[in-house]
Amino acid sequence: MICVIIPILLAYALNTKFGSLPPLLKFLNPFTGFWQNAEKFSIQKNNNLVLKGTHEQVEVAFDDRMIPHVFAKNDHDVYYAQGYITAMHRLWQMDFQTRYAAGRISEVVGIKAIELDRYQRQMGMVYGAENSLKGMMADPKSREMILAYTDGINAYIHSLSKAELPMEYKLLDFSPEDWTPIKCALLLKQMSAVLAMGSDEFYMTNIRKKFGPEITSDLFPDYPFREDPIIPTGTAWNFKPLPIPPTPASFTEMTTGKVKTKQLEDGIGSNNWAISGAKTLSGYPILANDPHLNLTLPSIWYQIQLNAPGLNAYGVSLPGAPGIIIGFNQHIAWGVTNVAADVLDYYQIKFKNNTHQQYWYNNQWKKTTTRIENIKIRGAADELDSVIYTHHGPVVYFQKPKKLSMADNVPTGDALRWIAHERSNELMTFYYLNRGRNYADYRKALTYYTAPAQNFIFASSDNDIAITANGKFPLKWKDQGKFILDGTDPKNDWQGWIPASQNPTVKNPPRNFVSSANQSSTDQTYPYYINWEFGAYSRGKRINDRLKIMTKATADSIRIMQSDTYSILAQDVLPALISKVDPSQLNATQKEALRLVTKWNKYFYAQAIGASVFDLWTKRLFYDIWNDEFTIAAIPMRYPSTDRTVELILKDPDSKWFDNVNTPAKETLNDLVNEALKYTCDSLEKKYGPIGKDWQWGNVKQTHVPHLANIPGMGSKTLTIGGAKGTIDALSETNGPSWRMVIELGKTPKGHGVYPGGQSGNPGSPFYDNMIDTWANGQLYDLYLLSSPSDSRGKIISNLKISAK
Amino acid sequence: MVFLIILIASFLLQLVLPWWVIVVISFATCGLVGKTSKVSFWHPFFAIVVLWTAMALFKSLPNHNVLVSRVAVMFGLDIWWLILAITGLLGGLVAAISGFCGYHFRKAVLIRKSHA
Repeated sequence: MICVIIPILLAYALNTKFGSLPPLLKFLNPFTGFWQNAEKFSIQKNNNLVLKGTHEQVEVAFDDRMIPHVFAKNDHDVYYAQGYITAMHRLWQMDFQTRYAAGRISEVVGIKAIELDRYQRQMGMVYGAENSLKGMMADPKSREMILAYTDGINAYIHSLSKAELPMEYKLLDFSPEDWTPIKCALLLKQMSAVLAMGSDEFYMTNIRKKFGPEITSDLFPDYPFREDPIIPTGTAWNFKPLPIPPTPASFTEMTTGKVKTKQLEDGIGSNNWAISGAKTLSGYPILANDPHLNLTLPSIWYQIQLNAPGLNAYGVSLPGAPGIIIGFNQHIAWGVTNVAADVLDYYQIKFKNNTHQQYWYNNQWKKTTTRIENIKIRGAADELDSVIYTHHGPVVYFQKPKKLSMADNVPTGDALRWIAHERSNELMTFYYLNRGRNYADYRKALTYYTAPAQNFIFASSDNDIAITANGKFPLKWKDQGKFILDGTDPKNDWQGWIPASQNPTVKNPPRNFVSSANQSSTDQTYPYYINWEFGAYSRGKRINDRLKIMTKATADSIRIMQSDTYSILAQDVLPALISKVDPSQLNATQKEALRLVTKWNKYFYAQAIGASVFDLWTKRLFYDIWNDEFTIAAIPMRYPSTDRTVELILKDPDSKWFDNVNTPAKETLNDLVNEALKYTCDSLEKKYGPIGKDWQWGNVKQTHVPHLANIPGMGSKTLTIGGAKGTIDALSETNGPSWRMVIELGKTPKGHGVYPGGQSGNPGSPFYDNMIDTWANGQLYDLYLLSSPSDSRGKIISNLKISAK
Repeated sequence: MVFLIILIASFLLQLVLPWWVIVVISFATCGLVGKTSKVSFWHPFFAIVVLWTAMALFKSLPNHNVLVSRVAVMFGLDIWWLILAITGLLGGLVAAISGFCGYHFRKAVLIRKSHA
């Protein structure tokens, strides 16, 4: 008997996943395991495919970087083919990202992801996606788009055998499920979560409680000390604004529970700019865009050309959403950066009792609703999570999880009002942009957009350039949502919307360029409140400084500018810091570091040692200044902004904030500057040895592109390259330009672009990370906007013909 | 003979069935025609080592071993052919044990029959 049991046990053991170890022989066997994902380096030239879901014949030409150029005869087929081809290259990524968004990771990895899943559910991600989907399905055009795209993905999923599944499925031991339209909505919600889930009101409320309103508004002012806004200062507002809702009297009296959301991730930001023909060699505009995100493999973006009657666009798409997000066509080019609008607010809720069935609002008890979230957990029973909804939105936490850093800034017992919960249809914006011919089409496309709010930049072959801070912005009183709001008072509710036509916008300004880098949308004359704090002005300032003096620009001058690493922060603050150092107190290493940083040209080059010293020095100095007052375990707070800190250093060197309150001595700014420099040198020396080559910025920074699920071996090598947060080339360890694009408009537009990765999501493909070196070197590839599949400009290596029978 | 039967049957059946069909094939083959316990161990072993190594190389060589090198790093190994060796040996061992068990199963059944 034992002779039968042993082989069965062996087979079972090697076919089962234990903890994080993959099912060994299921994964290793060469017939269905990972070996099957090893793609040939030689590419088959011609392929034919029968897909019953298509209406007419579709031709797809793959160029030498495996970028598909889809030629279809109708809208349905073009999105169907986009779905099919995207899934062919990126299925696991699409599946994993939407599961993440929906709070369904526990289904795959087990109980260890439960807090993450709860967070996603309780933030209302699925609720928001369901609302969005209603909007998408209501318009016949976006409905067709999303259904065709979904069918295309499913046609691919159904064609797969076990052996052909993407490698990550084999490793994590699960299978793809059918794609559904809600997944497209979830993906767009996840973009909102990345770009517009940041919220400081929990921290700000704690700060106000601890320091009082006066100090709070002094250290956290509503407009920065230095700014270079997106809409040039002095631009006139050609509209009659709606009346602003009055600020309720209770505003300053508000108290709060222990509430808190994720702080907007530092380094998530982007650049875009467009210069008019007056400043270019060709006489036509040039447009540039580089969105900064957490870099991953498979790449965040997927390049594609879509061609159908009325449509011929090229650019990057998000795997999981139909259409092109950033790109160009024959007539126009467009791009986006994040606005950082305050579209997420917390409301303190007064519940009648612990059943949370009623809450006090407008002087009466109002009923809550309960949404049951069913969380499936691998290897355990399902968890039913009841989430309480008020008219504001979901109450995220009644009890905070202990080990989830993203929940640190979410307050407990408070309801979340978030733009991403609104019904919306962002797809239509891209539908119209992809087909746009001129400025009027651009303006029309923008009216469909809700969230996450973006600075949509635009240029056309008619020689128009424009930028619009665009999204659905709630009509708020000034500073509404800077702190946690009192949920009992209707005056604190969002009371309407800024009309889309009155969103900050400028067309063909006299300076002949438009730009954005996440800084303040406008100067202080704009009649509406969008947010009290935006990204630092440093990148925007550098971009504008460069563009102001630029003449006869070419694609190459713009390309070089995209990898510019000059630090405005260093320009602003470094001379003041150096002047405060007392060289007689320094040891040899510190003296050498001081010499190098003094000599440093303020460019974050890979070889610059001064850059490493400056970066750590300022970080330590800011820590020295603020940590004593603003880090208290029981009261989560944040530091004042870099802008405010620089202002204090330059304008108020005797400020009381420089004293470390934890020591009896009274520290001065000079003491802190010297301490920080010594600390910097000591820590660099400890980590990298004596001052020298190993101290170079590229080595200290350790830029690399990790795998989306952080699987070792599946990420990129370490790249010794320059760039830093706050410079145009905003490249930190694993965060930076996720796509660089430069478009020369004209009779025949010329596109250039690159992203750090490759078209294929398969680590076993030669097209998995083939573009990384070009990206790291600051080079761009030519983007081919083909007129037909046989257009000889594209270096086509493979053709695919799809027919219905 | 046992070697060839297992090699060919495993190749054909694995094109449509999961990997663990090698367990069934080795068990059945040795249970039916395995002459000694030595043969029943080593023949399935080498059959699968040869088959799996060949198949792995057939997929991996045109890939310039890119994927297997990444998988090696994932397992904390720096040399790709260690993954190849583990694949072959582990598969071979499973087949060998199954063949061995198949042979002894037949023996046990025969003994019981002769007693009866």
